[in-house]
Amino acid sequence: MISTSDLIKSLAADAAPVRRLRPPAVRAALWLMFAAFVFGLIAVSHGVRPDLAQKAGDAVYVVAVVAALLTGVLAAVAAFTLGLPDRSRVWLLLPAPSLVVWIATIGYGCLTAWVGLGPAGVRFADLAECFATLVLTSVPIWAALLFMLRHAARLRPALVAMTGSLAVAALSATALLVFHTLDATLMILVWNLGAGVAVIALGSVFGRRVFASIARRVPAARP
Amino acid sequence: MPARPQHRRLAVVAGNAAATGADADNASGARIFARDLDWSILMARAQSGDADAYRRLLEEILPYLRAVVARWHRDRSDIEDTVQDVLLTLHTIRQTYDPNRPFTPWLAAIASRRAVDRLRRQGRARRGEAVLGGEYETFGRVQTNFEEAETRREALRRAVARLPPGQRRAVTLLKLQEMSLKQAAATSGMSIGALKVAMHRAMRTLRKMLGGKGGEA
Repeated sequence: MISTSDLIKSLAADAAPVRRLRPPAVRAALWLMFAAFVFGLIAVSHGVRPDLAQKAGDAVYVVAVVAALLTGVLAAVAAFTLGLPDRSRVWLLLPAPSLVVWIATIGYGCLTAWVGLGPAGVRFADLAECFATLVLTSVPIWAALLFMLRHAARLRPALVAMTGSLAVAALSATALLVFHTLDATLMILVWNLGAGVAVIALGSVFGRRVFASIARRVPAARP
Repeated sequence: MPARPQHRRLAVVAGNAAATGADADNASGARIFARDLDWSILMARAQSGDADAYRRLLEEILPYLRAVVARWHRDRSDIEDTVQDVLLTLHTIRQTYDPNRPFTPWLAAIASRRAVDRLRRQGRARRGEAVLGGEYETFGRVQTNFEEAETRREALRRAVARLPPGQRRAVTLLKLQEMSLKQAAATSGMSIGALKVAMHRAMRTLRKMLGGKGGEA
């Protein structure tokens, strides 16, 4: 253990200029642009669902898409804000209202159209395709988010990982809603909520470790 | 949803006054504000690579950091280790400081985070340890465990006192006073051969008197 005064000397000797982080809202916007880019690529390669124009008239569908998208955006802002040491923990509540609306639309759809799901309602091919979309959308944006928030590893890793994962889950759910025709509400419930919970759980469990390893490999302060 | 910086700032100011024990006059808001402004400027210069400003800043915040950390830790070395941890963290994430915002809450947040982390680590380490309690001692009192040694020494002294005079003298000179055979012969006037014989007999007598625990050897 070196003495504190020696430590200060060596830190001062290592005082390379650093570029200050941009405000959290700007960084969230940058990340959301990256997410939009990834979604754009998938839209080009996969195409949106064929009945999108028809579904645009369905109020519940529109509310669900908007709420999921809003939850993703607000959770991203919250994650980038919580990643800074001196911001209040109250930011955690920012995505809460839209999250409630989003979950409510899933529940509402489930109640009204539960019977609509026949025995042949779910096919394995649909499931696999859905899963592929989910992985294709969530993995790159999750990695980008962890990289951008690596400085939070030594501050509030669990909280940041949780809000970040919520953002990823909500945006992936939006992608599923727009790209897939799986309207069987049970499927929406399973995929939207289940995938969301799975991503959040994985993020909370592994986020801390992944954060730490990214922070070790890539110095947080770069000139 | 604003972060209410004003509230946080007041809380940190109040906490700081309590922690350092500074008298009420010194801990006035204006002084704290001026200090924060100084630190903020130094940090902004450190971010642009000014090593002197950075060193001055780190030296100036040391007493404050120790006071903040002392809220969680009692042990001196714990406090110092945590302070060093805080300094290292501050160095790693110094790009997250925004000079438009007060410096002290930023620093206090890092310090409390590191202090609490250390507490948690210590808690986890302690969970794997057990204190060796008194139940593993034969007798509760420490003195009791030396009783046997004490009685044996006493028994030996009494046995030596009961030896015949020639043998007792040999034991006293050769063993208790640790003389050589030559010195003992000069002191006692006995010949070396007589001393050897007396010593040999004394050992045999003592062994017999003390219950022959040493065996035949």
